[in-house]
Amino acid sequence: MMTWTQEHPMTIVGLVLWAVGILWLMPGRRASKPRPHKIGVLIVALGLVTFCLSCGKTQSELADDVMFWVFAIGALMSGVLMITARNPVYAALWFALATLSTCGLFLLQHAPFLAAATIIVYAGAVIVTFLFVIMLAQQSGAAGYDQRSSQSLLATISAFVLLGAISLTLQSEKIDIVRPVVVAADSSADSAPIAGNMSLTFNLSPEPPVIVPVMPGNVMSKAKGKTPVGNLKGLGKSLFGDYLFAVELAGTLLLVASIGAIAIAPRREQGAI
Amino acid sequence: MTEELQQIVLWLIPAAPLLAAIITALLGPKLLRYKSHLPCWSALAVSFVCSLILLLKILPSVEQAATPVKGEVAIAQSAAGPQVMASGFEWFSVGSLHADIELRADSITAIMLTMVTGVSLLVAVFGSGYMSHDPGYPRFFAAVSLFVFSMCMLVLSGSFILLFVFWEAVGLCSYLLIGFWFQKPSAAAAAKKAFVVNRIGDFGLIMGIFLIWTTTFQIPGSDVLFRPFQSLNFVDVLGNTELIKVVALQNPGRIPLICFCLFLGAMGKSAQFPLQVWLPDAMEGPTPVSALIHAATMVTAGVYLVARCTPLFVMAPYAQMAVSGIGAATAAIAALTALTQTDLKRVLAYSTVSQLGFMFMALGCGAAGAELVTPAVTAGMFHLFTHAFFKALLFLAAGSVMHAMGDVIDMRRFSGLKHALPITHWTFLVGAAALAGVPLLAGFWSKDDILAVLKEASHSQEHGLYFGVIRAIAIGTAFLTAFYTFRAYFMTFWGPERYPEEAGHHPHEATPIMAWPLRTLAVCAAGIGLIVGPTHLFGDYLQKTMGLTPELEHHLHWSVMFMSSVIALAGIGFAWMFYVASPAIPASIARAMRPLYLISQGKFFLDEIFTGMIVLPLRGIAILATLVDKYLIDGIVDTVGKVPKSLSIIPRQLHGGVVSSYAGVMWVGVVAAVVLVLTMF
Amino acid sequence: MTPDEQRFLLVGAGLFVLGAIGFLTRRNLILMVLSAELMLHGVSLTLVTFGNMHQTNEGQAFTIFTLTVAACEAGLALSLVLSLYRKSHSLDIQLWSELRESDMSGPDFDSSAERGKLSSYDDIPTLTPAGIAPKDPPRTTPSTGPTATRV
Repeated sequence: MMTWTQEHPMTIVGLVLWAVGILWLMPGRRASKPRPHKIGVLIVALGLVTFCLSCGKTQSELADDVMFWVFAIGALMSGVLMITARNPVYAALWFALATLSTCGLFLLQHAPFLAAATIIVYAGAVIVTFLFVIMLAQQSGAAGYDQRSSQSLLATISAFVLLGAISLTLQSEKIDIVRPVVVAADSSADSAPIAGNMSLTFNLSPEPPVIVPVMPGNVMSKAKGKTPVGNLKGLGKSLFGDYLFAVELAGTLLLVASIGAIAIAPRREQGAI
Repeated sequence: MTEELQQIVLWLIPAAPLLAAIITALLGPKLLRYKSHLPCWSALAVSFVCSLILLLKILPSVEQAATPVKGEVAIAQSAAGPQVMASGFEWFSVGSLHADIELRADSITAIMLTMVTGVSLLVAVFGSGYMSHDPGYPRFFAAVSLFVFSMCMLVLSGSFILLFVFWEAVGLCSYLLIGFWFQKPSAAAAAKKAFVVNRIGDFGLIMGIFLIWTTTFQIPGSDVLFRPFQSLNFVDVLGNTELIKVVALQNPGRIPLICFCLFLGAMGKSAQFPLQVWLPDAMEGPTPVSALIHAATMVTAGVYLVARCTPLFVMAPYAQMAVSGIGAATAAIAALTALTQTDLKRVLAYSTVSQLGFMFMALGCGAAGAELVTPAVTAGMFHLFTHAFFKALLFLAAGSVMHAMGDVIDMRRFSGLKHALPITHWTFLVGAAALAGVPLLAGFWSKDDILAVLKEASHSQEHGLYFGVIRAIAIGTAFLTAFYTFRAYFMTFWGPERYPEEAGHHPHEATPIMAWPLRTLAVCAAGIGLIVGPTHLFGDYLQKTMGLTPELEHHLHWSVMFMSSVIALAGIGFAWMFYVASPAIPASIARAMRPLYLISQGKFFLDEIFTGMIVLPLRGIAILATLVDKYLIDGIVDTVGKVPKSLSIIPRQLHGGVVSSYAGVMWVGVVAAVVLVLTMF
Repeated sequence: MTPDEQRFLLVGAGLFVLGAIGFLTRRNLILMVLSAELMLHGVSLTLVTFGNMHQTNEGQAFTIFTLTVAACEAGLALSLVLSLYRKSHSLDIQLWSELRESDMSGPDFDSSAERGKLSSYDDIPTLTPAGIAPKDPPRTTPSTGPTATRV
C-alpha cells in the first residue's frame, strides 16, 4: 500500500482532489445553501488534470493528445457536474455534454460509427425524452429532494477506492498484453505455435508468464479479411456475420421493451396492464 | 344348506345395514330426503330374516352335523359348541397378533342377533312416523343403520379385538344419536357425557384385552413360556375350560384381574353403578333412539360381554360376586330414584338401569356354586331378551305420548290420556305389566328365573349370606319396579283429562305407521316369555354356547313364582292406591320423609358428587396448568423469541426500505470484491 | 500496455465511478436513471478501447449491443418512472420505502410539504394534446394528479 503511494503520488493526489471536489459540490444531507460553485469546479479540474497526467508520457501526436485532453476532461467534468447538479434539467444537459465527449473519445479510438450512433441514440432520443419527462414532472421548479443527497460520503469514498484500485492496477508494470501477430493466411499453424493467437500475459514474477489463449476465430477472420479496426465494413461483417444471432436477439429485446413501455406507461383507464 | 350359502347369510346380517347406512349417508340429504327410511327398512328386514335363518336353520343343522362325529375334532367342536364361521380377510398382523375380520356365530349370537334386528326393524318403522317432519330425517336413518351394523358386528365378532372395535363403534353411534338434536345444548352435553363416561368403561375393556393377550403359561416340567390366549379368538380364549383352569392355578391373580377389567367395560356400556349417570341423560336423543339403543340393544352389550366370558368369570368367584353386588346396588339405587322422577322417559331410563342391574345380579350367581353358573347366565340372558321387547315397547309408547303432547314429557302436565290415546294406552299397559312382572307376561318369567337363581345361591354354603342380602335387595327392587312403573302409568293415563298447551286442542293418536310396531311389540312382550320361558326353549338353545353346560332337568319354581306375583301385584296395588284412589298420600309421605324424598329426586346426587370429586379437581388442575403454560412456558418461549429480536437491532437498520441504501450496500460489496481481486495482481 | 491506451481506460473507469456515485447519492428517479446511463458510457468506452488494443471489432460490436440494451432500459425506466410519479406526484425515490421493516420509521422526507406543493400547481401551462380529440371527453379525472394526466 505504501509502495503504491510512493510509486504513484500524482494519481493519489489527483483522486483525492477529485473526490474532495465532488463532495464540495454535492448537495448536503440536509437542505442547505450551495457552497461556492467555482471553488468546487476548480478543485475538481485540478484533480482531473493531475489524475490524467499521471498516465505518463505517450507516443501519440500532439493533435491526438490535445483532442484526448479536451474530450477526457470534458467527459469527466461533465459527469461530475451532472451528478452534483441541483437542477435536473442542468443535469440532463451535462449528461448530454458527457455523451458528446465520450463520443469524441470513441472517435479517437477509431470508432466513428459508434460515435455517430451514440450521439443519435442518446442526444437525439434519450436526452430529449428525459428532458421532456423532467419538465413535465417538475414544473414547480427545483424540488426539495434535488437539493439533498443521501449517503454521499459513503458513495464517494467507496467509489474512489475502486477507482484508485483500478488506476493503480492499470499503471502497474506487471500487466501487459501480447500483441496479436498478424500472419499470412497460408502460413501453417505448426510453424508458429502461438502465431495467429492472441494472448494476455500477466507478469507474475518470479513465475513464468501465464498465457491465456483468446478466441482465435475472429482473429483469423480478421487476418483473412485484412480490414482495419474501426472500419464500418469490418464492423458490419462482424455484426452480421459472427453475431447475427445476437443482433436478432437484440432486435427482439427492443421490440419487447417497447411493448413493455407501452403497456406500463398509460394510465389505467387508458389501458395499462 | 351349503357352507357357502351359510357364509353369505352370515355376512348379509351386518352388510345390509352397512350398505343402507352408506346409501343413506351419500344419497339421503339430496336424493332420498323423506324417503330415507326405505334403505334402512329393507336392510333391517334382510338382516332380520337372515338372523332368523341363522337361529332356526343353520345352527341346528351345524349341531346335528357335529354331534355324531367321534374323535378329537368332534371333541374340540363340542367344547366350543355349535358355531358357524364366516371368513373375511386379514385386517392387520403385528408380531404374533393376527386380527382377522371374520364372523363367528353361535347360540348366544343368534339370539342376540334376532333380538337386535327384530327390535331395530320395529323401531325403524316407528321412527319413520315419529321423525316424519324432522329436517335430520336422512341423518337419523343413516345413524340407525350404522348402529345396527355395529351392533351386529359386535355380537358376530369372533375375537376380542373385533369386539372392541365395534364396542367403540356402537358408542360412536350412541353419541351421534344422543346428540341428534345437537342445536340443543342439553343434547350436546348429554352426548358428550355419555361418550366420556363410556370411555372409562372402554379403558377397562381394553386393559382386560391386553391382560388376556399377555397372559403367560409355563408348561409344567419345562421352562417354556407361551401365551395361550395370544390369538384373542373367543374359541382359543374361552373354548378350552381345562386350559383356563391350569392357567388360573399358575397365575392366581391374573384371571380375576382380567374379569374385573372386562366387567369395568361392561359397567360403562351397561350403565352400572357408579357409571350409570350417562344413561338417564341420554334420553335427550329422539325417543326411538332411546328405545333402540338405550333400552333394548346397546346397553345390553355389557351383559352380553359378561355372559360371553363366563368361562373366565367362573374362575374368579370374587369377580362374580362383584358383578352381583354392583348389579344389586345399581338396581336398588335406580329403582329408588325412579320413584320420584316426573319425566316419563327418565322413569323408564332408570327402570332400564335397574333391570340391567337385575341381569348382572343373575350373572354373578355362579360364584355360589359351579352348578349354578349355567342357570345364572341363562336367567340373565333371558331377562335381557324379554326386557328388550317390553322396554322398547314402553319407550315407543312414551314416544307416542310425547308425539301427541307436543314433545312434553313431564307427567305433571298431563293426565288421563287413556281415552285420547287408546292404542298407546293399551300397549303401554302391556309393557308396564310385563316390566312389573304380572304373571304370564314376559317380565314375569325372566324375573322369576333371576329370583330363583338368587334363591339357590343364597342357600349355598360359601357365600350364602352375601347372596341372601342380594336376594332381599332383588325382591325389594322388584316391588319398587312394579310400583314406579304403574305410578308412571297411572299418572299418565288415569285421572282427569289434562293436556299441555303445546299439544293443541286435540291430541292425536299414533298414526298407523307408529301404531303397528307398538302392537307387534305388545304381542311379543305379552307372549314371548310364555312361549320360550317355561318351555325351556330359550334355556336349551342358549346353553349350547361354549362355556355353558346344558341342564338336564328342568323344574318350575312354584314358590318363587307365587312370591313374585304377590310382589308385583302388591306394587301395582300400592301405585293404584297412591295415585288413583287417594292422590294426597304421596305428597304427605314426601313431606314426612323429606330428606329421603330429596335424595331420590336428586338422583342420589351422583352427578353432583362426581362433579365435586372429579370435575372440580380436574378443573382446578386445568387452571393451574393454564397458569403455568401462560406465564412459565410462554415466558420461556417469549424470552427465547426476544433474543434474536434484540440481536437484530443493528442489522435491521440496513432494511430501511430506501432503494439507494440497498444499492449502496451492494455497491460497497462489489467494490470490496473488485479491490480484493485487483490487489491479488 | 501503453500509456496511450491506459488513459482511455482510466477515463472509462472514471465515468463508471461517477455514474455509480450519482446513482447512490441522487434522490431524483430520473437522475438515477441518467447516472446509470453514465455508467454504461464508461463501460462502452472501456470496451471500445479494449477492442482497439486487440485490433478486433468485437469491442465495437459489443458496444452496439450495450447501446441497444441501454435504449431499452431507458424506455422502460421512463415508463416506470411515469407510473410511479402518477401515484406519488413526486420523483423522490425515498417515497417508495414500503419494504422497510415494519417497526422502523420512514425516511426523513418532508413528504406532506413536498406533495402538497406539487399537487397544488394546476394552472401551469401544459402541452396541447395532439391528434384527433377523443370522443369520450373526460381524459382527466379529479382523483389523478393534474400534471400526470396531461402527459
